[in-house]
Amino acid sequence: MKSLRRFFTRLFNSAARSAQEERLREEIHEHIALQTEENLDAGLSPVEARRQAMLKFGGVEAMKQDYRAERGLLLIENLLGDLRNATRSISRMPGLAAVIIISLAIGIGVNTTIFSWIQLILFQPLPAVTGAANFLLVEPRTEGGGYPGASWLEYRDVQTQVPALRDVVASQMVPFNVGEKGRTERTHGQLVSGNYFSALALKPALGRFFRPEEAERPGTEPVLVISYDYWQTRFRGAPDAVGQTLRVNERDLIVIGVAPKDFQGTLVPLKFELWAPATMAPSLLGGTRDLEDRTLRSFSLIGMLRSGATRQEAQAEFSTAMAQLARNYPDASAGIGGDILPFWSSPRGPQRLLISGLAILQGVMLLLLLAVCGNTANLMLARGSTRQREMAVRVALGAGRWRIASLVLSENMLLALLGTSLGAAIAVWGTTALRVAPIIGAFPLLFPTRVDAFTLAFAMLLGAACGLIFSAAPAVHLARLDVQDGLRSSSNTPPRSRARKVLMGVEVGLAMVVLIAAALFLENFRSARQTDPRFRPEGVLLAAYDLSGRNPNDTSEREFAARLLERLRSLPDVEAAAIATNVPLDLHGIPARPFTVQGRVRTQVGQDRAISNTVTPGYFKVMAIPLVEGNDFADMRDKAAPAQAIVNEEFVRRYLDGADAIGRRLQTRAASFTITGVARNSVYDAFGEAAQPAVYFSYRDRPQDQGEIHLRTRSGNETALASEARAVLRNLDPMLPLYDVRTFSQHIERNLYLRRIPARMFAVLGPLLLGLAAIGIYAVVSYAVARRTREIGVRLAFGATSGRVVLQIIRENLGVIAWGAAIGWLLALVISVHAIPKGGVNLPVFIGVPAILLAVATLACGIPARRASRIDPMAALRHE
Amino acid sequence: MKQKADVLQGTLALMVLKTLDVLGPLHGYGIARRIEQISGDLLAVNQGTLYPVLLKLEQEGAVASEWGASENHRKARFYRLTRAGRKQLQAETKDWEQTAAIIGRFFEAKPEDLS
Repeated sequence: MKSLRRFFTRLFNSAARSAQEERLREEIHEHIALQTEENLDAGLSPVEARRQAMLKFGGVEAMKQDYRAERGLLLIENLLGDLRNATRSISRMPGLAAVIIISLAIGIGVNTTIFSWIQLILFQPLPAVTGAANFLLVEPRTEGGGYPGASWLEYRDVQTQVPALRDVVASQMVPFNVGEKGRTERTHGQLVSGNYFSALALKPALGRFFRPEEAERPGTEPVLVISYDYWQTRFRGAPDAVGQTLRVNERDLIVIGVAPKDFQGTLVPLKFELWAPATMAPSLLGGTRDLEDRTLRSFSLIGMLRSGATRQEAQAEFSTAMAQLARNYPDASAGIGGDILPFWSSPRGPQRLLISGLAILQGVMLLLLLAVCGNTANLMLARGSTRQREMAVRVALGAGRWRIASLVLSENMLLALLGTSLGAAIAVWGTTALRVAPIIGAFPLLFPTRVDAFTLAFAMLLGAACGLIFSAAPAVHLARLDVQDGLRSSSNTPPRSRARKVLMGVEVGLAMVVLIAAALFLENFRSARQTDPRFRPEGVLLAAYDLSGRNPNDTSEREFAARLLERLRSLPDVEAAAIATNVPLDLHGIPARPFTVQGRVRTQVGQDRAISNTVTPGYFKVMAIPLVEGNDFADMRDKAAPAQAIVNEEFVRRYLDGADAIGRRLQTRAASFTITGVARNSVYDAFGEAAQPAVYFSYRDRPQDQGEIHLRTRSGNETALASEARAVLRNLDPMLPLYDVRTFSQHIERNLYLRRIPARMFAVLGPLLLGLAAIGIYAVVSYAVARRTREIGVRLAFGATSGRVVLQIIRENLGVIAWGAAIGWLLALVISVHAIPKGGVNLPVFIGVPAILLAVATLACGIPARRASRIDPMAALRHE
Repeated sequence: MKQKADVLQGTLALMVLKTLDVLGPLHGYGIARRIEQISGDLLAVNQGTLYPVLLKLEQEGAVASEWGASENHRKARFYRLTRAGRKQLQAETKDWEQTAAIIGRFFEAKPEDLS
């Protein structure tokens, strides 16, 4: 109480300073007057009486200081004073301050943007769900290490047999065709267990979520929850959306609620719009047996740990439960174990792909920020040296070392704060820019990155760390300053600063690492754009259809594909048409399948695997992939030919040692095929990948319910085919939409999307960093040269040519720079060899970048050196 | 030369409180004189040091001050004890006596008492 009261009085006093000063002055005056009177009464002379009174009172100034310290809050007053001072001194150097603030802002902005992605994946895997980091993936695992998903009955068992998990929820990703016959729209949704929304602790934005009884028995209540965005776009946010009927997969469903804003389902970054009870599966998916059949593993499970339980406990219980299931249901569960995984190590989706790339990117960007800090420290040091006089005067007037340091610190912290604020603004802009970046695709993707309190805290932390880092050198330098020296010296005794040179070297080294990383990224991206994919994407239109809502069988699927192709081929503009299950260069990758092949002697344990794609005859013609040997697949309606497979050259080289492949038998888990052809290698997952073995199966032998239509145009304008293809499909089945229509080139651009972001970042940041390094070097050299005006004057007076002077200055500084550059170069080399083990060393980058950097550095040294060498020796000497 | 007693701020505050308790409202000079008189010349402090102590006490609410006229009709700032100050004085007096008593017992203690 007492201390609190005192604190507020003092705070108030700090504000009302002058009135208090006045009061003290009067009191002292009175005190001394009274004492003087008394001394006079005692018989002293007036002068002596006053002198004695003053002596008795003691040092007035020292007392005033104590009084002030007692009165207000010295710390805050000093801090405010420092801040005022800092603002003044920053406004006196607008150019320098701008360079520092902007470079810091960019460094912090970029780092924060990347961090917002990382934190999204690590800490907030489920947008709009609080405590999402507590949820874990519950994944059955096959002996081969695959994650096939869980069946509905299995989910029911797991729910009760893993007590360490509080709530386990199941969801299945399903395509919905929404709308009336002929005007359907494809939308993605999830079939979910009844406890889905309650376990995620979500509050509906409108209406309600499922009641337990609605998800109890199959086909009971036709209810639907829609996403916030869907509500906004389809119903324009109308409050009467609840209660309306939507026609979904030819069933009428009643909208009962709207999910909260930003919620996009539980398979982030996929974005879902509709949720229906899992028990609706049979009626929505054409009588599927998903709910009774243990072999249909179509659900993904996630669970939340009970408080106090650990992942290890949950893992142990889950393993036990799965072992029990394997004994009870050997047909469906034999050999299937299970893993409890955190979200970031999700076996599906682009998360896995992203997280390592992001980690590298963040590392490089932190180095960039460190280089910026080094640069700033150097600039501040150079500036600090010109203020030696000022600081020496301050020390002489009684400022402590700590006060001097805090003066410098507050100035730099203010700069850091300004830089951080601007950086946070850049990050906000950056994350929104990335968010709206259109990743259209078979599945709508949305990375809901944002700058939240956590990310802002990260930015602040970075800013504070930067401020401390680049304050340290100048603060120490100034605080150690010898007062005598500082006061005496005018600008002619050159105290050589080793710190500055070391900093310059470090900065150049860091810049080298970052620049090489940037160049490698760009080079990689550029070469990716230019590599020949070994098929011809130009002139090909892609579009997808999906029969899974029809509960089709092999015959109907085969027949549908055959008829679709016949009609498409009859279009005048279509040169060739084919259907395939996978498209090369897809963001999600193409699955690899285990197999055994006749005549292959395996030397290593483990299974042989090859990229697998199921295609119709004519696929190789559309893709312009030549068949090196053998023939294309038999006709779709050919019932006589045996099951066929076509392999690629790499397959033959790796698994058959180049022996003749035609006629050999290839065995997969499900069936046996005869190899009838060998296709040329092409690119499957990524540009610049090493050749991968691949097997093509025929659609005729393995009909699928989904397909990607590939159309090669005759006219060269593939986009014109879209409406014709749509019409063909509508003729065939009015309820079936054609979705994800895009040209092959667009498809490839999408694949490059994730690489393009860092590439663009580096394209901007690389030159910027180079510029910063040049400014840093320039500042250091021009400062050093200015301090040596006299020395240079003497040399010139003794007959040195200006060329020699310039050369000498460059040589001195370039020595330090070269050291830094060499260390940075070695570091970059080591990193690149580790990060890209098979890539080899990219010579042009490792030679080109140092050349450019050193050229820029030489220029940055040369300009101030040249200016110095032009001085008139007489003027320089008289300067003394 | 005789070493002057180094007066701790805390004891000085206690002396100020006691002086105001006994003599009623006083100005700064008056307080300084009383402390000097009572302690004799043993406690010769710079009178100036009194003012930060007075300020601290005032901020804590133990004393209050206002302008008034001194005996010889000069303007002076008078300090008086508040109720909180009186309570504080009582508490601190008790503390001090306890401490003094303990220290006193230590000084009187003989080796045989402690064996």
